[in-house]
Amino acid sequence: MSSFSAPSAGGRRNLYVPQPCPHLADYRSNAHGLAKPFRSLQPCLRVRPLGRPEIRRDPHEIPRCGPCSAADGGGGGMGPRLYACLACAAVCCPAHAPAHAEECRPGHEIAVDVDRAELFCCACGDQVYDREFDKAVVLAQIAAAAANASASCSLPESLRKRRRVDYRPWTPDPREWATMRRESSPLLLLDASDPFSTGAANTSTSSPPPSPGLRGLNNLGNTCFMNSVLQALLHTPPLRNYFLSDRHNRFECQQKGRRKKDGSGDSTGGHRWNPSGGSPVCLACDLDAIYSAVFSGDRTPYSPAKFLYRWWQYASKLASYEQQDAHEFFISMLDGIHENVEQDQHKPQSQGNGDCCIAHRVFSGVLRSDVTCTICGFTSTTYDPCLDISLDLDSNQNYMNVPTTKSHACNGANDFILSSQICGVSTLMGCLERFTRPERLDSDQKFFCQHCKVRQESLKQMSIRKLPLVTCFHIKRFAHSSIKKMSRKVDRYLQFPFSLDMAPYLSSSVLRSRFGNRIFAFDGDDSDAAIELASEFELFAVITHSGTIEAGHYVTYLRLSSQWYKCDDAWITHVSENIVRDSQAYMLFYVQKTLYYKASEDVSAS
Amino acid sequence: MSVSNDGNSSPRSQLASRCFEDLLDSIIVDVASECHRIARLGLDRNLEEEEEELRLSVQARVADPSSSSEANSKNVVDIFGQTHPAIADEIFECMNCGRPIVAGRFAPHLEKCMGKGRKARKVTRSSTIARTRHSRGSPVSVYAPYSNATNSNRAPNGTTGGSGEEYADYTYGVP
Repeated sequence: MSSFSAPSAGGRRNLYVPQPCPHLADYRSNAHGLAKPFRSLQPCLRVRPLGRPEIRRDPHEIPRCGPCSAADGGGGGMGPRLYACLACAAVCCPAHAPAHAEECRPGHEIAVDVDRAELFCCACGDQVYDREFDKAVVLAQIAAAAANASASCSLPESLRKRRRVDYRPWTPDPREWATMRRESSPLLLLDASDPFSTGAANTSTSSPPPSPGLRGLNNLGNTCFMNSVLQALLHTPPLRNYFLSDRHNRFECQQKGRRKKDGSGDSTGGHRWNPSGGSPVCLACDLDAIYSAVFSGDRTPYSPAKFLYRWWQYASKLASYEQQDAHEFFISMLDGIHENVEQDQHKPQSQGNGDCCIAHRVFSGVLRSDVTCTICGFTSTTYDPCLDISLDLDSNQNYMNVPTTKSHACNGANDFILSSQICGVSTLMGCLERFTRPERLDSDQKFFCQHCKVRQESLKQMSIRKLPLVTCFHIKRFAHSSIKKMSRKVDRYLQFPFSLDMAPYLSSSVLRSRFGNRIFAFDGDDSDAAIELASEFELFAVITHSGTIEAGHYVTYLRLSSQWYKCDDAWITHVSENIVRDSQAYMLFYVQKTLYYKASEDVSAS
Repeated sequence: MSVSNDGNSSPRSQLASRCFEDLLDSIIVDVASECHRIARLGLDRNLEEEEEELRLSVQARVADPSSSSEANSKNVVDIFGQTHPAIADEIFECMNCGRPIVAGRFAPHLEKCMGKGRKARKVTRSSTIARTRHSRGSPVSVYAPYSNATNSNRAPNGTTGGSGEEYADYTYGVP
C-alpha cells in the first residue's frame, strides 16, 4: 500500500459546476447590475415541510400554464411541470415554454420549475444549474428549518477539525542512526538460499518471494476465529507499522506494570502459571509478541497460545472451547487494547477522535444519526463512535432471482445498482446505500418531537461523520432469534469491490443530498478535494466463513503488495483475485489510500 | 394506463385516472430532475468504476463457480514448501499449569485448566480421586489439576506425563 501517493488526477466526487449555457450567462450578466441575479425570486421561494422548495408568488397561488388555460377556456393547464419565466413571471408548460422564449426574446429564455425550484433554459430545452440560485434555495431551506428550531447539536469538541499539515519525511540524525544499527536487526529478506522461499510446489516461478510477516497460525482447537482476525490485524498497515516501530514495547510495558505492583505483597512476577500475581495482563503486549514472532523470519506456524490465555483472562465471559464469532473476538480485542493502554496513560475516554489508543486511532470512526419529524421537519442529531460498521444482508425477497449466466443482459443497464438488483446480487455498496437511506420508523417507534411536543412518525437516517483509517465492515450473516432460541446463517453471496469510494455515505454527502444536491458549501465541510482524497479505500483483508453455525471455519485472505494469500490456520497459499472475489465475505477490511497529517495538539503526543 | 374512452368508464373514473396519471407524471419528473442534477454535477462519476468492479466479480464467479478452494486445503503444500498435520503437533508448556500440551488440543485443555467454559466442571478432591481410580484401576496420589495456588507439577503415578490424561479426556471434534 502506498500511503503517501499523490491524489489521482481528475477529481471524482467533488461537485462540478458546469459552464452556463449562453442564455443563462446572458441572464446573469444582464441582471441590471444587481448583485444578486435571482433577487426577484427570493421572496417567492417557499419551503414545504421536509425541505422541498417551490416558487409561489403568494402562498395560495395555483400556477397554471397561460396558453393551455386560454385554450381550455380557463380550465386546465396544470400538468406535471410548469415553468415561470424569470423575466416576466409568465407560467408555461413544457410544450408552450419554447414559444414564449422565442416570441419574447431576448431575455426570456430562463425559467424556473415552480414545483421543484430548478432552472430551465427554454431555448436549450434543458435544466441548467447556477451557484447563486442554489445558494438562495439552500438558505431558504435552512431558514425554514431554523424556524422549526431544529436542534442540530453542535459537534462534540473532539471532532473540531485540526489544521492539516504537510507531510515531512523523517530522516535520522547521527545519534539515531547509531541507535538503529546497534539495537535492531533487519527483517529477513528471502533469497534463493532460503530453503523456504523456493521449491514450493504450487507457486509459479514468476511470483515474487513471500513478504515478511507471512506466517501460519496453528489452530489450538476451534480457534480459527481468532487466527483469522489475528492475520487481518497483523497486516493492517497502520497497526503493523505501529507495532513494528516498537511503539508498544512489551518489555518496557511489563516492567512499568510490575513497578506499579510493588509493595502489594503478593508473590512476585515470574511465577509463570500464577496469573493473579506478577505481570499485568496487557493485550497490546501480547499482540506485540505476536508481531515479533510473525515478522521474525521463521516460517514454521506459530501457536498463539499465550495470546489465547491472556485473552481468556481478559474476556472471561467468552472463554470457552467452542467456536466463537470472529467479529465478537475482534471487538473484544480492540476493547482490551484500549482498556490497558487507557489505564496506563490516563488519557481521556473520548473515543471520538481516536487519540486514546492505537486501536481507536486505526479503527475508530464516528456515525451520525438524524431523526426527523415527518410533520414539522424538526431534526435531532446524535453522534456515536464506532469501531466497525455492521451491515444487514438484504433478504432474498427483494430481487428477482436471475441466474448469473444471464448477467450479460444486465451489463447494458445504466444504473449499476439497478443492474445488480435485477440480477439478484447483493453488493456491499447496496448494503451501504441501504445503511444510509432515510428509513421510516415504525409507528410503534414514534419519536418525541421537541417542536410538536408530541410523539410523531419520523424518518431516521444514518451517515458517516468521520471515516476511520481502516474501515472494517461486518456482514451480519448470523441471525439470532431470541424467541426461537435458534440461530441461522445467511449464506447469500455478497459482491464487494477491491476499491471503494466512501464519499456517498459521508454525512456531508447525505446532508447535501437531503437539500437536493444543491451547489453549496455546507457547514463543517472540508473542501471537496480533501474529502475525495480521504474517502478512497482499498481492500486488504477478507475474513470468510464457510459451513454452518455449529460447524464452520474461518479463513482470511490477505493482499500483500498486489498478491493475494489465503491464510487458513497454519496453511498459507497463493490465491488468485477471482477466488477472493468469489468468497463469502464475513468481515471486510479497507484502508485509506492516502494518508494526510493533522497538526498535533500536543507536542509530546505520539 | 391511458384513459379509456369507451362508453364503460364514467366521468368519475376518468377523472380518477387523470388524477392518478398526473401524480405519477409528477413523481417521474421528480426523479428525472434529481437524476439530471446528479449527472450534470458529476456526483455519479464513479459509475464506471463501480460497474467494472461488478463485472470483475461476475467474471470471478463464473470462472470459479464452486468453492472448491475450500476443500482439501489441509493437504496442500504452503508457499514455503511446508506441509502440516491436521492437528497442530507443536508441544509447549501450558502457562497456567505448566504441563506440556499439544498445540492442537491446547484450547480444550486450557478451558478446563482455567476453570472456564460451560463444559468445565468444578472438581473437588473426592471426585478427582473417584475418576482417576476408575480410569486407571490403581490408587494414585491426589492430584488436583484445578488448584492454581500450588505448583501442581506432579504427574499422576503410572501415567506417561500430563499429556496422557489429556488424550483420555479429549472428546471434542477436531476443527
